[in-house]
Amino acid sequence: MYRKKRQVLPFLLPGLAGLLLFYVAPFFGGIWYSLTDGSFENTFVGFRNYTAVWQNPMFQLGLKNTLELSLICAPLLFLLSFVISVVVNRMRPAGSVFRNTALLPYLMPSSAVLIIWLLWFDYGGPVNHLITLLGGSRIEWLQGASLRFPVVLLFLWKNMGFCIVIFLAALQAIPVSLYEYATLEGASFPRQAFTITLPLIVPSAFLVFILCWVNAFRIFKEVYFIGGAYPDEPIYTLQNYMNNMYSKLNYQNVTTAAYSFAVIVFVLFGLLFWLQSRAQRGLS
Amino acid sequence: MKQMSGLRLRILQGVLMILALVLLLPIIQTFLYSFSSIDEMKVFLKTRGSYDTTRWMEAHLIPNVVSLEQYYQILITDNTVLRLFVNSAMYALMIMAGQAVIIPAMAFGLSRFRFRGKNVIFFGIILLMLLPFQVTMVPNVLTLRSLGLTDTVWAVILPMWFMPFYIFLIRQFMVGLPNELIEAAEMDGAGTFSTYLRIILPVCRPILGAAAALSFADCWNLVEQPLTYLAARPDLQPLSIQFNQLARENTGFEFAGATLYILPALFIYLFFQEDILSGITLTELK
Repeated sequence: MYRKKRQVLPFLLPGLAGLLLFYVAPFFGGIWYSLTDGSFENTFVGFRNYTAVWQNPMFQLGLKNTLELSLICAPLLFLLSFVISVVVNRMRPAGSVFRNTALLPYLMPSSAVLIIWLLWFDYGGPVNHLITLLGGSRIEWLQGASLRFPVVLLFLWKNMGFCIVIFLAALQAIPVSLYEYATLEGASFPRQAFTITLPLIVPSAFLVFILCWVNAFRIFKEVYFIGGAYPDEPIYTLQNYMNNMYSKLNYQNVTTAAYSFAVIVFVLFGLLFWLQSRAQRGLS
Repeated sequence: MKQMSGLRLRILQGVLMILALVLLLPIIQTFLYSFSSIDEMKVFLKTRGSYDTTRWMEAHLIPNVVSLEQYYQILITDNTVLRLFVNSAMYALMIMAGQAVIIPAMAFGLSRFRFRGKNVIFFGIILLMLLPFQVTMVPNVLTLRSLGLTDTVWAVILPMWFMPFYIFLIRQFMVGLPNELIEAAEMDGAGTFSTYLRIILPVCRPILGAAAALSFADCWNLVEQPLTYLAARPDLQPLSIQFNQLARENTGFEFAGATLYILPALFIYLFFQEDILSGITLTELK
């Protein structure tokens, strides 16, 4: 550990200056925008922008969909990658082949495989074929409420591998003897996963959960590719609203919507951090 | 590790292998389709989009006749895809060059020095990391506008130089490095800067490789930033947001173009795969 304080400056300054210039300073400066009316005199209007934006049906729709989609995607992504990691961890080398395969989509550009996605979910496509073979009836995947399904699946396809890699890294640090003891005691495999494994990897699992959620909030690429800039109502996200406002040069609404969302995000993550620290104390 | 009984293990392995195949299928399909002739693809793609319940889309996996027609079209007759490909490569290169200078240095400053305000800065970086793009785009836009950089390539490049997630990732790795490493270097009379260049950076190879690969994935798949900042300049947009439009309008672009588009990502994956795995494993992620 270096104690010569002055030597830290050349390392820290470029990054710090950039963060201040592009993120921190304008973040606080932008609060002023959200409190003025955007006219030539830029009159102070208090919270009037906020009440207007909150009553805007498109904002409500975008916010509702973004929250709903993230509530579907984040827990699903988390649980799926946890279960798969626990299983994969128990079978090497086949397991590491699977892990490496699952990581590949993370690096793939989604727009390149989009066409395949549209083919799969076509009304006469393989997914519907499979459903009818299993005795169900065809679904119009690319319209209305069922649009969410391909969107969520594309998201999972892309993000699962990275979560599995983080989980597996944490799982490998657990001593094998714990499982041997549990097996002697007669604990079943799923029971071991939730009573031994999960508590031991709480810190990493928490990070994965947060990352899942941050990524799920960003769910837009998938929507944009499948639904375009003006998608059907069930997948109209907050980002669509912001982009439309931005292209209309309505900065007041853009900043107001962004800060409203920031408050929600901070409250949510604050709550999660609080729960995690309580859970950790409870365990130790 | 508990050994599972033979049969259960076989079944689980089978399930995993099928899942792996499904995960790879979009990439394999794209690759296979790219070698069929344009007319064959036109006929095949016409069978979709029908809502006639008595008909199915044509089942098709392997081209009837292997042809390089699609590649001839995107590489020689029409250079639109190539031009956008160059745009994408330019963004990836410019963003990653800046990140390489700024991010590891900042992670080093935040991990191996003791000074006042360090924890405040680190906490701020974590907060920024949690904010989704919908929120951070606002401060970015305000600064870009007052610098007059909107509708230029810099609007996309500059904010990406300071991605908080990579600062966090590399910092977590550097925190875990043994102190002896630095003490030994100091004993040899090495200055801070040469210790950083000659000792710290080489030791951090796995996490730097991992961060580079992950960051490349971001850059190659840029959607939100160019869509917002470069809405008025389609000529500056990368392949990621124009590809679908192009593919819809020109049969033959979608598969050969996609293959071309996937290839660099595939190389990066193969080249940095070990780094991603060992880098993440060795990092204290909590």
